[in-house]
Amino acid sequence: VKRGRGIWRSVWEIFPLSSSNFAFSSLSPSDSDSAPVPQRRACHAAGRSLSGELLLSGGGAPQQARGGGPVSPCVSVCVRDSVCFRVFDHVNAIPFRSSKELLLQPVIISRNDKEKVLIEGSINSVRVSIAVKQADEIEKILCHKFMRFMMMRAENFFILRRKPVEGYDISFLITNFHTEQMYKHKLVDFVIHFMEEIDKEISEMKLSVNARARIVAEEFLKNF
Amino acid sequence: MSKNTDSNQFRKVDVDEYDENKFVDDEDNGESQVGPDEAEVDSLIRQGNLMEALQAVLKNPPINTKNQNVKDRAEALVLKVLSAFKSSDIEKAVQSLDKNGVDLLMKYIYKGFEKPSENSSATLLLWHEKALSAGGVGSIVRVLTARKTV
Repeated sequence: VKRGRGIWRSVWEIFPLSSSNFAFSSLSPSDSDSAPVPQRRACHAAGRSLSGELLLSGGGAPQQARGGGPVSPCVSVCVRDSVCFRVFDHVNAIPFRSSKELLLQPVIISRNDKEKVLIEGSINSVRVSIAVKQADEIEKILCHKFMRFMMMRAENFFILRRKPVEGYDISFLITNFHTEQMYKHKLVDFVIHFMEEIDKEISEMKLSVNARARIVAEEFLKNF
Repeated sequence: MSKNTDSNQFRKVDVDEYDENKFVDDEDNGESQVGPDEAEVDSLIRQGNLMEALQAVLKNPPINTKNQNVKDRAEALVLKVLSAFKSSDIEKAVQSLDKNGVDLLMKYIYKGFEKPSENSSATLLLWHEKALSAGGVGSIVRVLTARKTV
């Protein structure tokens, strides 16, 4: 699948080894109110003082996506918020769901009922699942094959999961290990970029499939 | 020597239940919370007084009830009010809410995203953007970490 290269290239961008600074200050939103109470409770229950430093790399201007309004900043803020985690346990909290106090509320952001993004956070990882728009049969097949292609190479992809979550097409699992090795803001940017590009890639592929089919049919029917 | 060395009933005991450090949610008695008053909100919408309707619908959030119906009804009501607003009025409406109101609004917005219908997502995205500019990133974090959802 040569078309997928655009996405692959951006994966390499996020790789520079950097030890992100885990200096924790209490989570304070951009306006001046004190740390949120429910979060503090969850922290104490977890037995440690969990405070995260919010990486606000400038509030980007909302990019008009297709259809109703700016989804990207919505998702990016959510992913950015949930990407603030640290080493707590070597076991990823989300798939195992062993302790209630370690999980955040799962949040869905949807553009319509076919396209949505599910963000499940926990104390040391976050799982982002994307349901891609598939309008007709051929898009369904293309999407399925494209996702399968990437998921089979999930080992090299690092943050990709081999199986998507039920009801979605692809899932990323970003853990504290990943954030230690890769830039957090780049990870977030990558996920957003991925979401935006995937629609374009699939439309391009569909066009080329149709063009090829037309050429083949012409050639074949010239014999008659 | 104990009598029942053959018995392996002990294997059925869930030891984690008895762990003293186990985290349990505070079980508040939420039976008294019934959610926003439908009749009042409906009448306010019909009168066209949308600001008041918004305030009314954000009162009495059914945070602690275990009854799913109450939560669903509340959510449907909030969605009705939010869609009744014109896009230009949304900003003013958000400004009129206090901090807790904005947080509550965010919770409802995310709840609304879970069940997208034809146009709901578009309005919700608009509301989300305005609420975000009012509440800041903190309001989203508070939604993510809230143990008691609306």
